Amino acid sequence: MSQPAIEAKNLYKRYGEVVAVEDVSLSVAPGEVLGLLGANGAGKTTTIELIAGLRKPDRGTVRVLGHDPQRERAAVRRLLGVQLQEATLHGALTVAELLGLYRSFYPDPRPAAELLDLVDLREQAKTRFERLSGGQQQRLSIALALVGRPRVVILDELTTGLDPRARRRIWAGVEALADETVLLVSHAMDEVERLCDRVVLLDAGRIVAQGAPAGLVAQTGTGSLEEAFVALTGRELTPEEAA
Amino acid sequence: MNAMLTLIRCEAKMVVRDTAGLVVPIALPMLILVMNASAAGDQRVAGGRSALEVYVLPLVFAIVLSTIGIVNMPSFLAYYRHGGILRRLAVTPVSPVTVLVAQLVVSLAQALVGIALAYTVAVTAFGARPPAGTGTALAVVGLAVAAIYSLGMVVASVAPTPNSAVAIGLVSFFALGAVGGLFGGVDSLPDPLAAAASWLPFGATVEALSNAWAGTPVATDNLVGLAVTAIAGSAVAALLFRWT
Repeated sequence: MSQPAIEAKNLYKRYGEVVAVEDVSLSVAPGEVLGLLGANGAGKTTTIELIAGLRKPDRGTVRVLGHDPQRERAAVRRLLGVQLQEATLHGALTVAELLGLYRSFYPDPRPAAELLDLVDLREQAKTRFERLSGGQQQRLSIALALVGRPRVVILDELTTGLDPRARRRIWAGVEALADETVLLVSHAMDEVERLCDRVVLLDAGRIVAQGAPAGLVAQTGTGSLEEAFVALTGRELTPEEAA
Repeated sequence: MNAMLTLIRCEAKMVVRDTAGLVVPIALPMLILVMNASAAGDQRVAGGRSALEVYVLPLVFAIVLSTIGIVNMPSFLAYYRHGGILRRLAVTPVSPVTVLVAQLVVSLAQALVGIALAYTVAVTAFGARPPAGTGTALAVVGLAVAAIYSLGMVVASVAPTPNSAVAIGLVSFFALGAVGGLFGGVDSLPDPLAAAASWLPFGATVEALSNAWAGTPVATDNLVGLAVTAIAGSAVAALLFRWT
């Protein structure tokens, strides 16, 4: 059996009195696209921050291709590409300059032209980041997550706030990642159904269900993943979450 | 090394594109220099040296170093942290130290440009002469950079937002400046404050540079004050610095 690309065991993290993640265990096989699904505050972002090594778990272990993100930071950073929800880039730098900067961080980066084509930003190469639209910024963020030829990619709230056309473009970009393992964080059901081989459903910091999207629908006897989500968590997504 | 050089190049481009950010650290000291240079250039104060050389230029150098080191650099770093730029960089292989070093190098380059401009104007337009102890003056500038920038790193470490970094930086700058002779001679301050001036970074820089220009020995108080600030500031900043 091959080594999991991501393996998290019994993760626990609290902020003051609030338990963000409790006893979360998940495993992502090489080449798999796993969706981490949940409402706002379910613990999705904390889980990926623990996996990416941005936060240290109070309890539990994380391995990315066998490496501990806390103790083997350099090794994990070379293998992992991350697009973060709450992060921005140097506003005064152009798209081409940012690609050049992030390419300089990796030993064998993807060519800038290939990345620009992948996220359809060739025409914006000389535009400053602060002058890009939200969708263009998001696409650049995805390009930067892929710049180092990562074997594992974490994409946090991939298309939140984007228009339908931009979402479809980004989805096509993710579908083009044939060899990479992807951990996709989302609360957009259509996105998860389209892109993910398997889904882990988080609610109030705990895993409440996992399986293939169609399997969860069948398991709950509902007609869609959104209805399955409601059946499994007992909550409706807010209009903002469902957008 | 490639990452470091690229990061330095990018930081420099951003500084050049934000020219408004250079007004306070470079244009303001230049204004103070020009406004005082004519009268001070003719006034002989010590060993045939002019007040421009012994008082105004050291003060202008200290203002340039302090505004860039204590106000500009911390606000950049606080903006990086608050906006999530440091968080984004933290998930790349680039070392956190690389980010800090690049920021320090570019800030230092700005300070050196400011000092070089002020010195060139003072020499060419107002007849100022080089320091009697050129080596001593360079060593003092080096020590002042270490002290003032380490203090700036402390500001960057504790400021939660860019605005608060500017506020803390400006208050620190004016407080250190007031004690160090920014608004008038140190002699006119109450005795305890005047004594503290020799030890605190702004006043120590001005006094030490003043002595270097006049060719008189630099006081131990100044050197010890700057060295202790550099070491203590670096230690505190290293302890408190947060990436997110």
